[in-house]
Amino acid sequence: MTVATDFAPSESLREGATSAIESRRGSPFMNPYLAGIGLGLVLLAAFFIMGRGLGASGAFSSATALAVEKVAPEHARANDFYLGYLESGLDGHAMKSWLVFEVLGVLMGGFFSGALAGRLSPTVDKGPRISIRGRLAFAFAGGLLMGVGAKFARGCTSGQALSGGALLNVGSWAFMIMVFAGAYAMAFFVRRQWI
Amino acid sequence: MMAPFFKYDLFGDEFSLIVAVLIGFAFGFFLERAGFGSARKLTAQFYLTDLAVFKVMFTAIVTAMLGAFYLSWMGFLDLSLVYLSTTYLAPQLLGGVLLGFGFVVGGYCPGTSVVGMATGRVDALVYGAGLIAGIFAFGEAYPYMEGFVYSTDMGAITLPQLFGVPYGLVMLVIVLIALLGFWAAPSIERYFGNRLTEEV
Amino acid sequence: MSQSRPPSKWNWILAAVALVLAAVSVGGDPYRGHVVTLNTKELGMIVDAEVDHVTAEELADRLIQGQTAQRILDLREPIAYAEYHIPTAENVVLGDLVDYPLYRNEQIVLYSGGGIHSAQAWFLLRAQGFQGVYMLLGGLDAWKDEVLFPSLPTEAGPEEIAEFERLVQVSQFFGGSPRHGSGEEFVATPMQMPTVEPASQVPVAKKKKKRKEGC
Repeated sequence: MTVATDFAPSESLREGATSAIESRRGSPFMNPYLAGIGLGLVLLAAFFIMGRGLGASGAFSSATALAVEKVAPEHARANDFYLGYLESGLDGHAMKSWLVFEVLGVLMGGFFSGALAGRLSPTVDKGPRISIRGRLAFAFAGGLLMGVGAKFARGCTSGQALSGGALLNVGSWAFMIMVFAGAYAMAFFVRRQWI
Repeated sequence: MMAPFFKYDLFGDEFSLIVAVLIGFAFGFFLERAGFGSARKLTAQFYLTDLAVFKVMFTAIVTAMLGAFYLSWMGFLDLSLVYLSTTYLAPQLLGGVLLGFGFVVGGYCPGTSVVGMATGRVDALVYGAGLIAGIFAFGEAYPYMEGFVYSTDMGAITLPQLFGVPYGLVMLVIVLIALLGFWAAPSIERYFGNRLTEEV
Repeated sequence: MSQSRPPSKWNWILAAVALVLAAVSVGGDPYRGHVVTLNTKELGMIVDAEVDHVTAEELADRLIQGQTAQRILDLREPIAYAEYHIPTAENVVLGDLVDYPLYRNEQIVLYSGGGIHSAQAWFLLRAQGFQGVYMLLGGLDAWKDEVLFPSLPTEAGPEEIAEFERLVQVSQFFGGSPRHGSGEEFVATPMQMPTVEPASQVPVAKKKKKRKEGC
């Protein structure tokens, strides 16, 4: 398994590179403005066809609720939080929800794009000054923080920030500002992980 | 005006799942195209060396925002039928801060972690496990926090409604902010990128 | 070390487009506006095709079967509404109608005392893009006549008698009282309007399960 490590400045001097952090293998990344327009059109399609926005954390929530229900059914059904996700699926199947299927699509789409560009390979993304073990520990901790945060905020960057942002939702913009603020605040303390 | 199609019962729940996969496919495709399957690329935003996150996010928001407005204004889409989530100000502010912390610590957000997993990143997988652990922790603590989680309910409210200004005015401000950011981005990236090189 | 390229020609073009679109939009309202465009031909055809109304009997049947998915709007004055209104009806005066919280994908039935206000309301809502709007044919007068106080003329054939039996059941469901006999008797017998919430059980239809649409 190769490990993507050093942020070596010279690596970015690649033909066709559009930004500072470039892909180590395969084709260079797409122009961010172009990708942004593409994403925006996908979001618009979701508005137009389904009357809803995108999302991701909800699918993880459904999976979690289902897991809890398998292990401790009465406990899960007594908890309004889990119950909400268990009942929101079609025909009572928690995993038969729109978001779960959407996330499956994201998995396939991401794979397809990566395969097309030759950017598929097992890696651990990290900076040069941290070990793999350290990076994975941080990854887990970050996921934990975000899992809690996403539930308080009713969504993550795809759902709240992107979809709610495009609809000028007050909570979504407040959320987005805090995400950037929190990330910039914390960045200094974990810079060993990335740079 | 028969859009959003699903809200006018033009197709049922089963078909909507197929739509979900297709939309998700396009979503994941563009995320990976932008390089958002890579934690390094995502977190570079917060060291100001690569502002792709800002560029992609705000371009997407502006595109969808203007598109939705014009489609609705011209009568092709009923914007009032597009789901607007309720604003719970306090928990959302807290959630935002936690998410911001988690973003730069974990390196991904839930959507991009899926793309990361799809392209072989082990840390994205571990991040996903952490995500589930976090949701579980929240779920277990939920009965004790329910009051806070549903506090400061402002209803489903938009910025123009909150400030009593025209919808288009808010859109204009957002477009200006985005364009300002895009214009300043190369200089910022160059400045902090050089600083970094000197450090390293 | 490479940084992002300086803005290209296309960047400037896109930026200009975005700016223009945003600037032009400042006067507009993406939601249910008060200034609307109408397709008069289409409206005329709908009226001709007679798909713009429901009869009192049809509405009564729907309510009996527990279908409460439609919104029923009573356009009369609040005093009249308080005295009696069709079960599950909401009170909205014409002036408030265009801002009343309604979704464009809902089924809406309008009624007033006779039919004039409901016809005007039908037109207003249609103009705003509502497509599932219907007038109650004959208004509350028809509701009283056909549903609450159905009558059977003295010279009635067997078919009419059988039909009347069914109407009696409908009437009793809504707390009304069927009438027998000829025209003169109608005037003599005072018609007692049922209390606002009839004792009959209007079954609560299963509300469409709230889909989780968040993220």
